[in-house]
Amino acid sequence: MRFIYTSIWLILLILFIAGKNQADTIGQSLDPLEVRPSLVTPRLSLPTKLTQVHVISPGEYFVPPMVANIPDDKFGDMVRLGRNIFVNTQKYASRYVRNGLNCSSCHLQEGRKPHAGPIWAAYGMYPMYRQKKRTVVTYQERIQDCFIYSLDGIAPTLDTPEMKALVSYSKWLSKGAPVGVALPGRGYPHVKRSQDLDPKRGKIVYETRCMMCHSKNGQGQKNTNGKGYMFPPVWGNDSYNKGAGMQRIETLAQFVKGNMPLGAGFTLSDQEALDVAMYIWLQDRPKSPKMTFIMDFFYPNMQH
Amino acid sequence: MTRHLSLRNKATMGIILTGIIASLIIYDISTPSKSMVDPEPGRLLAQNGRGVIPKCSACHGVNGEGDFKNGIPRLAGLDIGYIEKQLEDFARDPLQTRAYLEPIAKDYTKTPRTYGDLTVFTPGTRTHTLMNKLAKLLTRQDRQNLAVYYSQLKFVAQPIGHDFETLERGEDLALRGKPEYGLPACISCHGPKGEGYGALFPSLAGQPASYIKKQITDWQIGKRDNDNLALMRNIANQLTDGDKEHIAAYYSNQTYSVNTD
Repeated sequence: MRFIYTSIWLILLILFIAGKNQADTIGQSLDPLEVRPSLVTPRLSLPTKLTQVHVISPGEYFVPPMVANIPDDKFGDMVRLGRNIFVNTQKYASRYVRNGLNCSSCHLQEGRKPHAGPIWAAYGMYPMYRQKKRTVVTYQERIQDCFIYSLDGIAPTLDTPEMKALVSYSKWLSKGAPVGVALPGRGYPHVKRSQDLDPKRGKIVYETRCMMCHSKNGQGQKNTNGKGYMFPPVWGNDSYNKGAGMQRIETLAQFVKGNMPLGAGFTLSDQEALDVAMYIWLQDRPKSPKMTFIMDFFYPNMQH
Repeated sequence: MTRHLSLRNKATMGIILTGIIASLIIYDISTPSKSMVDPEPGRLLAQNGRGVIPKCSACHGVNGEGDFKNGIPRLAGLDIGYIEKQLEDFARDPLQTRAYLEPIAKDYTKTPRTYGDLTVFTPGTRTHTLMNKLAKLLTRQDRQNLAVYYSQLKFVAQPIGHDFETLERGEDLALRGKPEYGLPACISCHGPKGEGYGALFPSLAGQPASYIKKQITDWQIGKRDNDNLALMRNIANQLTDGDKEHIAAYYSNQTYSVNTD
């Protein structure tokens, strides 16, 4: 009796597994990309719907003050130093930076561009709770995190001229912006995921839209005088490390969606942005300073 | 024993050093340097013309310095790939250009157009009454020779003065663009000082102001259409007439020199 029960259970189990396998193969065979391999490449390279371009109406975003209007006093000098550090971190804060990026590599156009982590939208929001640190962080601590992860360097302490200058520049840039209000254009735009991410599609997007500036191997292109990057590296030794916010696929996709290709933001579809973000996520870059050996071994690309 | 080891080490070091030096020499010989490309055929064509082809120096200046009064662009010191590509685009007949579909975009220097769920690629075109006719007379080899010749010429720009406000606005646009409208800065592609970058991004510094203005206008009205990924077309569509004036004034005010050392 017991034998019969066991055999019935076994048969049911075998049937279940077989049925599951069959369902899987059916699902695969119905996938148009698998059925028609000759169409894989063209269908992936073409947008499947009309690209929606983000139209900006005047007054939609906060406009920071002009550089020509920096005051001619001690504070103004600090703001100018802060702007220099922001634009050319490689030169003015070289002792804290280990890779080839500047602040303005991510915070585009001197930290002014909406949807590219604008400084004027961030300054008034701190101190705030950050999930990454699991505590309330001040604006200065947030800048230190940028240096540790995105610039792959060491954190400037709070009494350094670099830190004072960057905070002064941020304060001047957000002159007139409300405090504690999430302004339009803050951070990065929202990206909606509609299907599974595919690095193969992402590779095609990278090669058609990104490669001409960031080069085929993602190493960016150096300035003609050999100092710093004209087009920043998106992976490799001179890029941000695995602890940076950009190592999250969603964050990178949001940045790409809002700003890339340069001057043609919001032309990629959400799915294209996510695919290319996954393709970049899979590449090699400096290790996270927080990363332990075991996590590094089992989750080589994990951001944490 | 230690002496033996150190001797052996010295010998190994010697072998390695010799190898490195030899490989450096071989590398130096095998890599073609810039001076090895002969500018002579290009110079002959540019200075004398050939048959019905008039000489380039008649308009673009004896040393390729351009004509700043009449807005004729400077060619000296431009990127070799850029000159060649522009001549090819001039030689392509704009009227016979037809849009065609590619299953996959093999030549990424072409301009994508998004129409519904199809991306139409048109080969880059550049319209100019005289240059279209002249470029068609040139062979492929001629274009390469001219590019080699003009990319090696030296040039020193003469900065042109403007009023302070114009320059300030031009600088603001060149360094920062219009962030609130998503318009990127000129320097983000054309080099930190407008010196140009590679074959895709030509130099803005050292070009006549009227030439820069005319090119932006050509992009806006569709007479010039040979940029990559339609980047410049997107940007030109957002520029006002005032922006054109400011940008052109700012870049004609810059000090700039190329191939002078």
